[in-house]
Amino acid sequence: MCFKNLPVEFDSSGKPFLRDGIRDPYATATATPPEGPRQLTSERIEELLRKNGHIKSMDFDPVTRVAGALAFHTVADFENRKVLEARSVATLFRGYEVIMVGRDPRDAIYITSRACGVCGGVHSTCSALAIEMAIGCKPPPLGILIRNLALSLEFLYDHPLHLHLLAGPDYSQAIVEPTNPSLYERAKNTEARHTAIHGFRTIADLMTDLNPLTGKLYLEALHMTRVAREAYVLICGKYPHPQTIVPGGMSSTINLTVMNEMFVRLSQFFDYSKKLALIWDDITEFFYEANPEYKKVGARRANMIDTGIFDHPDSYDATYENCNEWGNRRWATPGAIVDGKLVTTDLKTINIGLEEFVEHSYYEEWAGNGETQHFPTDPSGNPLSPYHPWNKVTRPRPQGQNWKEKYTWDTTPRWDRQGMEAGCYARLWNTAVAQKMPESPFMESTGHSLKMRVPAGALPETELEWHVPEVWNAFERNRGRAYCMAFTTLIAFNQWLAAMERLKDGDTKTSTKFEIPKRGTQQGVGFWGAGRGYLTHHLTLDRGAVANYQIVTPSTWNASPTDRWGQPGPYEEAVMNTPLLEETSDPTKFRGLDVLRAIRSFDPCMPCTTHIQSEGGLITREVNTCACGLDD
Amino acid sequence: MRVIVGGVGYPDLCDYSIGIEVQERLSLRDAPPNVVVEDLSYNPIAIKQRFDDEPPEAQFERVVIVSAVKRGDRPAGTVASYRWDGVLPSETEIQRMVTDAVTGIIAVENTIVITRYFAALPNEVVVVEVEPETHEFGAAFSSPVAAAFDDICDLVWSLATDDNAVARLPVGSLASVTVPTLWVG
Repeated sequence: MCFKNLPVEFDSSGKPFLRDGIRDPYATATATPPEGPRQLTSERIEELLRKNGHIKSMDFDPVTRVAGALAFHTVADFENRKVLEARSVATLFRGYEVIMVGRDPRDAIYITSRACGVCGGVHSTCSALAIEMAIGCKPPPLGILIRNLALSLEFLYDHPLHLHLLAGPDYSQAIVEPTNPSLYERAKNTEARHTAIHGFRTIADLMTDLNPLTGKLYLEALHMTRVAREAYVLICGKYPHPQTIVPGGMSSTINLTVMNEMFVRLSQFFDYSKKLALIWDDITEFFYEANPEYKKVGARRANMIDTGIFDHPDSYDATYENCNEWGNRRWATPGAIVDGKLVTTDLKTINIGLEEFVEHSYYEEWAGNGETQHFPTDPSGNPLSPYHPWNKVTRPRPQGQNWKEKYTWDTTPRWDRQGMEAGCYARLWNTAVAQKMPESPFMESTGHSLKMRVPAGALPETELEWHVPEVWNAFERNRGRAYCMAFTTLIAFNQWLAAMERLKDGDTKTSTKFEIPKRGTQQGVGFWGAGRGYLTHHLTLDRGAVANYQIVTPSTWNASPTDRWGQPGPYEEAVMNTPLLEETSDPTKFRGLDVLRAIRSFDPCMPCTTHIQSEGGLITREVNTCACGLDD
Repeated sequence: MRVIVGGVGYPDLCDYSIGIEVQERLSLRDAPPNVVVEDLSYNPIAIKQRFDDEPPEAQFERVVIVSAVKRGDRPAGTVASYRWDGVLPSETEIQRMVTDAVTGIIAVENTIVITRYFAALPNEVVVVEVEPETHEFGAAFSSPVAAAFDDICDLVWSLATDDNAVARLPVGSLASVTVPTLWVG
């Protein structure tokens, strides 16, 4: 039984139903998550601060080297070198949900793209999928392959950017030497294991080239983002906001010239992805061996969620009814992992277990006050929570910050009432364990690992193997993301080969005509993925216009605040488990490096403000474009 | 002298779209062969790479950038133009700007600082700032900015085509930026 907290069971045919005899099955007191990590009460924290000189607050505002506006509040015990309280604060409001209401659904593809300055394409695509489901429009096979290819190229921009521009500097000489001099001394005398692939003789050499602005790895990552971007715009016209994604496929013209130009760029990632995986293997193993306490940095339960991504052209039919089937044929398998165990790969089960709460968020409640629930079931008749996105109403209510009350613009998504983490590594984990991936000459899912045979470039063909890790922490997130480069490169190559076969057979059709229905109510959901993992767009149409639009992004999950049961959000939980390992005893000299390593390992992608006037007044006057983070 | 004229900003953001709108208007004019009018409202790292792509013998020598810049100490619609003093912020700040750039933030400071830091920016940098008022989703300018629009276009055009006009400009600094802080206490 995959649900442990929600009162949802499955009959002998696998159809979910609500357990009998429960008067209010989704009441927050009815389905309560089990004992687990909890925040200390604000009163207790205040008492500790008052009575202990070595306990101090440590606030990061903003957290740098992340996409967008994130602040982080901690209370740390500098004597025992641990964090007692952690609060994740999304400081800006986006408002896409509000902007979308009343519009033609096709606008969503272009407007929601603006939710992110890195991964606009994933929002456009997720939006197209939601519309396809709502109106019943299935793309042609080549359209599906090209869409997969485009989005995998977007990830080839995204992953190196995080690894070597955002997270990488935390492991660089410029930061490690002053904060942990003895560790850096050790690095100078430690030979790297994979010199033959990445070319760095010692770990210190590697650290030096992770230095921001000047390190070779930093500069190489800047260059590789260009290569990925150039390949992406061959299909999508523009980066980051694509111009060719439509419901029913892609409006791109695909021919051999385009495909060849794309291959010239894609093939550059064969060697680069080998290097990245083995660089992050070497970094991870060095830190573990130098001090096993590093295994606790950013550690939390392996609770993860992912919708899967990259459809198989023989399976995807854009229907909710068949989403379990086509979801399980995706190149990256959907899944929910609880305490390290994969409990489902079915998209419907993932969907009906999803709820969003606003206990500590700057929104008004929309459920639980006798309000009518629009959709008691999903389109297949499976039970839905009043807190599910299809039932959600976005009611922003800006107000003062208070840890006991409301302190963030992010909402609190939960699956089966548990704090889940999103990331590209969840994609890797589900695919490795589920063994449902389509057959590929380059990849093999073993049940406990994912084997990847990366073709020769200047470097020889190399087999990489990502293993499901024994511990889950900041280092494994980064290592997983590095291996995701190879995974994504090989998926892109598979799509490229399949698309070439189609072109050889004279198939050039990339989209299906569609019409937006002008009558009735339709529902759709885009199950897709961002570079950072899980992404859903839930859509309701009424007489041809958007009646409700709800986006849940990876960082909505990861940056979520403490929930109504006291369970911390993933950033918060990871920071609460992080030891303070800098070599100083003076709190004023602490840089909070390990806390930042923990946070950055999630690859936070936070805000996008869009200047919304709510009943409560002006929400924000700040602007930027990147926003995979907050509530929408 | 090869000159590039670019608008920096976001589309559909009222006054904050002024750079894009001016650039689009000027792209309709017949430019002399040495002047290129181009959208520069994208990732500054990509702009650096775009400048790098110019052949060595035909590098741009002047860039004229027009953008909304909120300084807050002048009336909306105020137009200020200057030759940038070339002063770069600290490397910590530049690193933060690179982060912003690659994650989607488009701003005149980022564009200028990053492209100069990586030695791609033309030597002569002319900035035309417009003090914005309205900051929300939409296509319309506020009244003061709308009233100044035609004059801004003419000013930018003269700075692209008239060396004497540029020579008369004062030297100025970019709007200040905030350095993030770790608070312990």
